[in-house]
Amino acid sequence: MELALINTLRKINRLIALIVGLGLLGMAAFVVADIALRQVHASFGGSEELAGYAMALVSSWGMAYTLLEMGHIRIDLIRSRTSGTLRALFDIFSMIVMSGVVVVIAVKCWPVVARAVENGSRANTPLATPLAWVQVPWFAGWVWFAVVACLITLAAISMAVRGRASETEPFIGAFAEQDSLK
Amino acid sequence: MISFVSAGLLALLSLSIPVGIVLFLLGFGVDQFFSGFPLSRALGNMVWSSSSSATLIAIPFFVLLGEILVRSGVATRTYAALDRWVSWMPGGLVHANVATATMFSATSGSSVATAATVATVAMPQAEKLNYDPKLFSGAIAAGGTLGIMIPPSINLIVYGFLTQSSIPKLFLAGLVPGLALALAFLLVTAIICVIRPELGGNRRVFPFVQMARALIDLVPIIILFGLIVGSIYAGWATPTEAAAVGVGGALTIAMGFGGVSWIMIKDSLLGTIKITSMIMLIIIGASFLNFTLASAGLGRELTSFMQGLGLSPVGFILVVVVLYIVLGFFIETLSLMVVTIPIIVPMVLEQGYDVIWFGILMIVLIEMALITPPVGLNLYVVQGARKSGTLNEVMLGALPYCLVMLIMAFALIVVPDIALWLPNAVG
Repeated sequence: MELALINTLRKINRLIALIVGLGLLGMAAFVVADIALRQVHASFGGSEELAGYAMALVSSWGMAYTLLEMGHIRIDLIRSRTSGTLRALFDIFSMIVMSGVVVVIAVKCWPVVARAVENGSRANTPLATPLAWVQVPWFAGWVWFAVVACLITLAAISMAVRGRASETEPFIGAFAEQDSLK
Repeated sequence: MISFVSAGLLALLSLSIPVGIVLFLLGFGVDQFFSGFPLSRALGNMVWSSSSSATLIAIPFFVLLGEILVRSGVATRTYAALDRWVSWMPGGLVHANVATATMFSATSGSSVATAATVATVAMPQAEKLNYDPKLFSGAIAAGGTLGIMIPPSINLIVYGFLTQSSIPKLFLAGLVPGLALALAFLLVTAIICVIRPELGGNRRVFPFVQMARALIDLVPIIILFGLIVGSIYAGWATPTEAAAVGVGGALTIAMGFGGVSWIMIKDSLLGTIKITSMIMLIIIGASFLNFTLASAGLGRELTSFMQGLGLSPVGFILVVVVLYIVLGFFIETLSLMVVTIPIIVPMVLEQGYDVIWFGILMIVLIEMALITPPVGLNLYVVQGARKSGTLNEVMLGALPYCLVMLIMAFALIVVPDIALWLPNAVG
């Protein structure tokens, strides 16, 4: 059951990452068009501001995908010298700490969004973008990251409790770059 | 506070907690124990302001550019073309490894990507032509490290972002040392192969017609490099915008070579998102730690710490070099850079050193970290592309190039103008 959950999460996040990636490609096209326009003394204006928003969204919504692809860098000094259950304990401990921190981040991001929504704040720029438009989806990305991290942690703990700790390796263990190379 | 952060850093990292998360934890710790007022309240704002940055979007653009070039088969053509041009030297194809890595460094911002690219196309040749695996794979691992020195460089963007120094200047400063390292790698390869010819395999001489024809395959990469770097210095584009231009250029080249398909685009985008989020978690964590350290009075503490040490500026820099070499054995490069910048860079500037110059020195040291065991990412990447042999062979083969980098580090300390001449001359 846990593995089915992980598979579903992987599928959803892959789709999200692809959408975010296409957005990134669109942003690149927009920037290039803007540079071209500038050569003839015209411009969409605000491409730098939009690029900043795009970056905020790429970072927050890509996090959960990277987590499931085991792309977040960990230093493998002691863990690699252990095996079996002990190694799985390293991974589970690391996931618990990670989930905790990410939940705190998501919670602390809320006041930023709340202020933008309540005050109807606008960016101090020529576009005067209503900040809520970009900060609400940005915040949602961090919440999603927190939810996914907690679900993975619960799945891993539930497997460990039932004596299947070593089977958690494929989703919280193996370091991606080494794994994909062997 | 410095000792608390350093000890905490090592302890938490060795528990295999993700690097970005460790940085957040340390920030919470500094807030809890060393600050008079609650800093964590600013966390949300820090996360927003450090990630909504138009400067940083250059990172996914450069990653995407590299992914497109690799996945569309441009790398294979470049390697074959450079083989025609440089394999007449003693050492043969080993030179093509270094040259291809240099060429890709000029378009890709990442060392691991560069090493992976060259390793994938070069390894089959080594087996076919009976090269000594040690020197051959060592040259790829070392050549690949140039990716973070020769512009564009993701690591230099991160350095510029965290130290608030000029990214175009950093790019210019990296160019001369990067090319000098590439030439030194070629020279060392030739010398080794003159002394011990059995390491190098046959020298390969091609008729001029073939060499001329091969040039066609090199032109796109050269144009792409010119487009990226040229548009920055011509004043048309910021480094971020140049990166977007680079993505467009890479797609055009890939289309010209017939290497574009939906699968290839999809894989490139997914790879880009994965690497970008990995980098961003670390950068956001480092920004938060930076902020808490500065607010809790790191500046004052550093000044008294430095005075307590009683080192001369040169003595201090030598300590820093040793520190990076030692840490480089164990910590992956980007993490090493990001976790040390908040602590080391203020101290270095306090001693009167130039922030651009130190960025380049740091990159040389971090390049070394990429090919020193036990944690040297490029060694693993190259070993991963081989079908046989052990990691030890790659490590041994990379050793001579490590020495070259060490010499470069000292050269930079003795003659800072190696890095600073070009940015000062241009403006």
